[in-house]
Amino acid sequence: MASVIQIILNGLVLGGVFLIVAIGLNIIYGLNRVMNLAHGSLYALGAYFGYTLVTGKVLLFGLDFEFGGLNFFLALILAPALVGLVGWVLERVLIEPMRDRPMIYTLILTYGLMFLIDGLIKANWGDTPHYIIPPEFLQKPVYIGDFSYPAYRFALLVGVAVVMGLLMTLLNRTRMGINMRAAADIPEMVSALGVNLKAVRVGAFVLGCVMAGIAGFLVGPLYPILPIMGHDMLISSFVVIVIGGLGSLRGVIVAALLVGFVQALAEAVITNFAMVIVYMLMAVILVFKPYGILGEGKFE
Amino acid sequence: MLKLEDVNTYYGGSHVIQGLSLEVETGAAVCILGRNGVGKTTTLRTIMGLTPARSGSIRIGDQDTRGWPAHRIACSGVAYVPAERNIFPGLSVEENLRLGARPPCEEGREGWTLEKVYEYFPVLGERRHGGGAKLSGGEQQMLAIGRALMGNPRLLLLDEPSQGLSPILVENVARIVRDLCREHDLTMLLVEQNFRVALEMADIHYLMGTKSIIQDQVTSEDLINNEELIKCHLSV
Repeated sequence: MASVIQIILNGLVLGGVFLIVAIGLNIIYGLNRVMNLAHGSLYALGAYFGYTLVTGKVLLFGLDFEFGGLNFFLALILAPALVGLVGWVLERVLIEPMRDRPMIYTLILTYGLMFLIDGLIKANWGDTPHYIIPPEFLQKPVYIGDFSYPAYRFALLVGVAVVMGLLMTLLNRTRMGINMRAAADIPEMVSALGVNLKAVRVGAFVLGCVMAGIAGFLVGPLYPILPIMGHDMLISSFVVIVIGGLGSLRGVIVAALLVGFVQALAEAVITNFAMVIVYMLMAVILVFKPYGILGEGKFE
Repeated sequence: MLKLEDVNTYYGGSHVIQGLSLEVETGAAVCILGRNGVGKTTTLRTIMGLTPARSGSIRIGDQDTRGWPAHRIACSGVAYVPAERNIFPGLSVEENLRLGARPPCEEGREGWTLEKVYEYFPVLGERRHGGGAKLSGGEQQMLAIGRALMGNPRLLLLDEPSQGLSPILVENVARIVRDLCREHDLTMLLVEQNFRVALEMADIHYLMGTKSIIQDQVTSEDLINNEELIKCHLSV
């Protein structure tokens, strides 16, 4: 019984992380029509920025220095903001000039970008695994009866809920959010109503990158931070988006939890075979339900 | 209010509008009449900056707006109601309206509010929290007009308001729009292929043939009395 609860909780943790990464990817695609293959690398960057801020050991390609290190929660805000800054520069310098070209251009561009960022990460932080140390009160397990579960994983679930709550508030209650949702439907009409579409698109790109950064940071205390950590995450979030339906917010939530549970099950029981089931599910959905599990996706 | 001189617009390689000139006086209700496919919609899109003109001059008020991005033109007081209405399906009725909201250009002027729009179009008020995609054709047209008004425009561009509506609804929409323009000093440029709607909504008409204006400024009376003109350019 205890192990069943554990698998469910692990599934929620994994699903929550997939959700944040995949929603970021989805928002960027929905508004920019860019399938950002460097998204996983930005996720990794979130973890590395987090590590640097928490430990205070700044590596800058040889120009290294140290400071006291920041509070975990302060770093949790700052690291994703830095990833957002990187995203802003990428959008301005690389994505925007490609705006009117076919999607294959940005596909190849972001593919190259993925290797560039991964290479820079490796050159700067090296190949050895790092960890983000969570605050002391989150390092102990929580006991419920005779069942125990790491406190940090609970905290991560709370974090995912808070992030999703903030995102929904942004999308549903703010002017910027309404602009974004409208621009995902009929971009041209948004500009005819006096909204600067370019600003909305930059905003969406940065928001997507911030989401990746948050997920990377949250995972930092759980799994080793490695230069290639973004690759698996990119694949997983692709699977989530395909199963959920490209552009469908609700579909992505369902799909992220589904993939999270299957992977948690894989880690606990059938190890090697479970991810195969996920990929088969993805293939079946692609063939028979190309608009995703809820049928809400939008393809171009 | 609006003056186009020798405007040329292209869609890729094809020259869709060739040397078009027209003028709309402040406070006037003007219609461009013409058959399907002569470039009426493109004319409005060109004014709005959605399909930018390649040459010529476009003056709105006292500014030359050729080359401006669409959002800048919108902010200078131009509102556009496309023939497809372009209601955002993922947004509620109220969010559609709020998206169009912009402070009035002239300071001190009383602007449009949600309440005022609901007063004109009570059905929008009833459905304010419903999805934009769930509206009927007539309701969508009202929402598109209401959304345009929320931007407090000086110039209203209407693309075939009669499209896809029943005759009664067309009459309704035409009457509301006319009243609106009179009461709020709105200048209106509409394009139509329906002769009767054009007469009902506008006082001055341009006839548009393939790719350009072929008959300058005629009044509604002239148009009624000149059957030949209509036969030539509007009948199938």
